[in-house]
Amino acid sequence: MKQLGIDIGSRAVKIACFKDDILIKTEIISTMKFYRDFSKMIDGEIHINLSQLGLSDYDNIISTGYGRNNLQIAGALIINELKAHVYGALCQTGEEDFTLLDIGGQDFKIIKVEKGIITDMLLNDKCAASSGRYLENMSNILEIPLDDLMKHYENPVNLNSTCAVFGESELIGEIAQGTPLSQLAAGINYALFKRIQPQLQKLRGRLLILAGGVAENEAIIHFLQQEDKHVIIPKYPQLNGAIGCCYLGFLKKGMKNNE
Amino acid sequence: MKVGITTTVPVEVLYAAGVTPVDLNNIFVLGNSTKYMNYSEIEGFPRNLCACIKGIYGVAMLEDIDYIVGVTEGDCSNTKSLIEVWRSKGKKVILFGFPQKKQYQSMIEEINHLMDHFNVRLEAVDDMKRELYPIRQRVKYLDELTWKTNQATGFENHLWQVSCSDFNGDPKVFLNELEEAIQDIEGRKPFPSNEIRLGYIGVPPNISDLYHLVEENGGRIVFNEVQRAFTMAKETIDTNIFNMYLNFTYPYDLQGRLTEIKEEINNRRLDGIIHYTQSFCHRGIEDIIIKKSLKVPVLTIEGDYPEKGDARTKLRLESFIDMLKDLKE
Repeated sequence: MKQLGIDIGSRAVKIACFKDDILIKTEIISTMKFYRDFSKMIDGEIHINLSQLGLSDYDNIISTGYGRNNLQIAGALIINELKAHVYGALCQTGEEDFTLLDIGGQDFKIIKVEKGIITDMLLNDKCAASSGRYLENMSNILEIPLDDLMKHYENPVNLNSTCAVFGESELIGEIAQGTPLSQLAAGINYALFKRIQPQLQKLRGRLLILAGGVAENEAIIHFLQQEDKHVIIPKYPQLNGAIGCCYLGFLKKGMKNNE
Repeated sequence: MKVGITTTVPVEVLYAAGVTPVDLNNIFVLGNSTKYMNYSEIEGFPRNLCACIKGIYGVAMLEDIDYIVGVTEGDCSNTKSLIEVWRSKGKKVILFGFPQKKQYQSMIEEINHLMDHFNVRLEAVDDMKRELYPIRQRVKYLDELTWKTNQATGFENHLWQVSCSDFNGDPKVFLNELEEAIQDIEGRKPFPSNEIRLGYIGVPPNISDLYHLVEENGGRIVFNEVQRAFTMAKETIDTNIFNMYLNFTYPYDLQGRLTEIKEEINNRRLDGIIHYTQSFCHRGIEDIIIKKSLKVPVLTIEGDYPEKGDARTKLRLESFIDMLKDLKE
């Protein structure tokens, strides 16, 4: 059986394709490009040209994410975003009791899972200050690629502001004082960590699973591990939601016995 | 004469004495709870204290309550200080304790103390116990209409069972209203067979729409643990009054409660459990053991003042039931 999972995020669309229980194809496309090049509007609904993406000949589609309410593909089942991420973590790690931290392009989610079921969650509200978006903006100001920014965690400069916009002015002030680039970058990563940390504290458990695009940020991982937490990063952190969709597809077909 | 009670007590003694028991908790939750809470906080009750203590203090002070039976052991240790404040304000309080070592002799002493105070004899108490027996059995039948035939709602199950602490002050009227409710429920179509069957454990909720929210998401509470314990309906007609209140699980150790909960998870085919705790209540600690002991998923919900469920509670319930549905499919 071929199962397609689509996670439509604010900044990227993640697609996972499983044949039976083997992941055979993945795609990460910018959300803008996805809507512009692969979708068209028919009768007020967005239809996606999957064959153009080389993704025809699937048996089943499950989708989730930011734009899930807009997405209409024939035969697709649309599921709750929190659930998709939890199924992704269950599938990728085999753990059943954990706290899942998903830091995405425009928000973060902290989900407590016990016995394989969601029991609690904390979500950020409208402000995107505690998300990948903050890192993108700051890397633009430093004029370095995001991948470079994510490596630095030694001697972080202190960036206090809760607001990301005020944070930019703070950063410019530090640049003007001649602070080394590595310390500026570390400060940016640390500021993001500091915003999430108190929320994480509320739902802490013995095990933390980190997913979403920001899970590739070495500095964030470093700071989380310093907190004396057992941190697991799944093999495909950014594809976690899309993989979760596929996992549910298998669960519904009775091919997985809630492993 | 109206006698306020702070939780379930041997109500047979009160009815045998010809006084009217009033469960102060029920008046607090169903009445103008804000008024009672405000009154107590102005009197000086701390903010970080269980809302029920403040609520029942206010009810006893503001409503027409002549006497109070205060439960000192087996319920809430805050009640001890609450009793001190009532007494300092001139309220008459009679003490009753569920003996924590569950010794028969101690239970005799506790009930004798109540009987002496109200000047009733054991025979009269026994007669009253037999009079209430058929009513308790009818409430048990309503419980079966919830989990066997799947016709009653979780809220109906909660309300009728929890009301067995005082039979709303008049067992005859209670029975008539109960029969009407049963007749109505019997005529209904059963809930769909693919619904998510949940158990509710812990003290009765201060979240007024909890049962409704569960049903809105395709679940139903078909087991109310503490409320069911209040009915004492598992006892035979010949169980004596002392044993009856020794077999009552709520005021004693957690292990006794867990044994019953596990039995009902099997009997009633429960998919999950909702454990309700009150903010600032010692029972919140028990959550550690409950989650470890039960095999089914447990969602812990904390409530404070009597009010409707907030957005996060709704989202938590929705996600929990949603995932249980996937498992059930």
